[in-house]
Amino acid sequence: MSYIDVLKETRNVMTPGSSACQGCGGELILRRVMQIAGNNSVFAVPPGCMAGAGVDGWNFSNGCTAPIHITLLDNTASFMSGVSEMYQRRGRTDVNIVAIAGDGATADCGFQSLSGAAERGTRMLYVCYDNEGYMNTGYQRSSTTSLGSSTSTTPAGAAINGKEQQQKYVPLIMAMHNIEYCATASPSNMADLVAKIQKGLAASKRGFAYLHVFSPCPTGWKFQPDQSIQVARKAVASNLFPIWEMENGKLTLTENRKPITIREFVAGIGKFSKLSDEEIDAIQTMADNRYATLQKLAAK
Amino acid sequence: MDNRFVTPLGNEGMYVLDTAAWRIVRPVMNKETCINCGICMGYCPVNSVYFEDGQFRISYDYCKGCGICAAECPKQAITMEEEEK
Repeated sequence: MSYIDVLKETRNVMTPGSSACQGCGGELILRRVMQIAGNNSVFAVPPGCMAGAGVDGWNFSNGCTAPIHITLLDNTASFMSGVSEMYQRRGRTDVNIVAIAGDGATADCGFQSLSGAAERGTRMLYVCYDNEGYMNTGYQRSSTTSLGSSTSTTPAGAAINGKEQQQKYVPLIMAMHNIEYCATASPSNMADLVAKIQKGLAASKRGFAYLHVFSPCPTGWKFQPDQSIQVARKAVASNLFPIWEMENGKLTLTENRKPITIREFVAGIGKFSKLSDEEIDAIQTMADNRYATLQKLAAK
Repeated sequence: MDNRFVTPLGNEGMYVLDTAAWRIVRPVMNKETCINCGICMGYCPVNSVYFEDGQFRISYDYCKGCGICAAECPKQAITMEEEEK
């Protein structure tokens, strides 16, 4: 069954008319995760763009047709640990326990509870849509923001030229928790994303599953909304966002035989418009080293 | 009204956020060149592309007019046309 058939036959779980921006990568990921998980699920969406867009139903404009919780920014994983435990004890192992959080609620504020739930092997799927910042409040930097990104807390100017640190690579940190399933995915590779959501949901019945999805943000990163998928595609092609999955301690890397340069990736993205040559080289070196590390981990 | 979408119902009736009003350009699918591959459906962030009677079609009920479908169509069968006032 191809991914098109899967999407064709699943129903919308999130209601229409979400106030997410035009061309939002987060909304695309959220809708795909929700429609594949289906209505026999309990969701948690902490504050962030997607909760702000009203999927939790707080704005009385839209919502979700399955049970959904708006957790706090820092307790999504621990909150859902309790929910999962309750469903396990009642013998309702058929229910999908799914958390969908942004990178701020995953890598920064919510990291402690996420790490705890992963280590305990809580039966749930945790999806992070990584748009590299706190987009909901006007793009403040987060720990997954790329070097040199001009954000509202690290504006490119006379004092600094965008964010001064490299991004934190959360998916590999999560993989090192020895969880049931850990993967990265990009909306540009939709077939791969759909397959990984299905695998993640299956793994969430046995233990903790984590999915890290690249989420292009036209408003925050300043590019045209119709370029969203193209930006995600270039992030994968430039090895800034390598695609891999880890199951039973074995890492499988989707080989990128003809990588493009970081310079090609950053072209046309507003937040990188002031990037210096040194910064581009630094991101390139980081991406190359990270890819080499993944290749070594994937080697038999 | 079909039941393509399920909208939340509250004390004051049905809740609708009319995102179709945001649109300044609308995607128009040319069914002559369309090969019904469904790639637009996979990439549509608002699930506005639906499958009916063996064909993929675009619903304008909630489409925000982002243009991803037109940019990603392998056959360039979707064009963005200006909305009439």
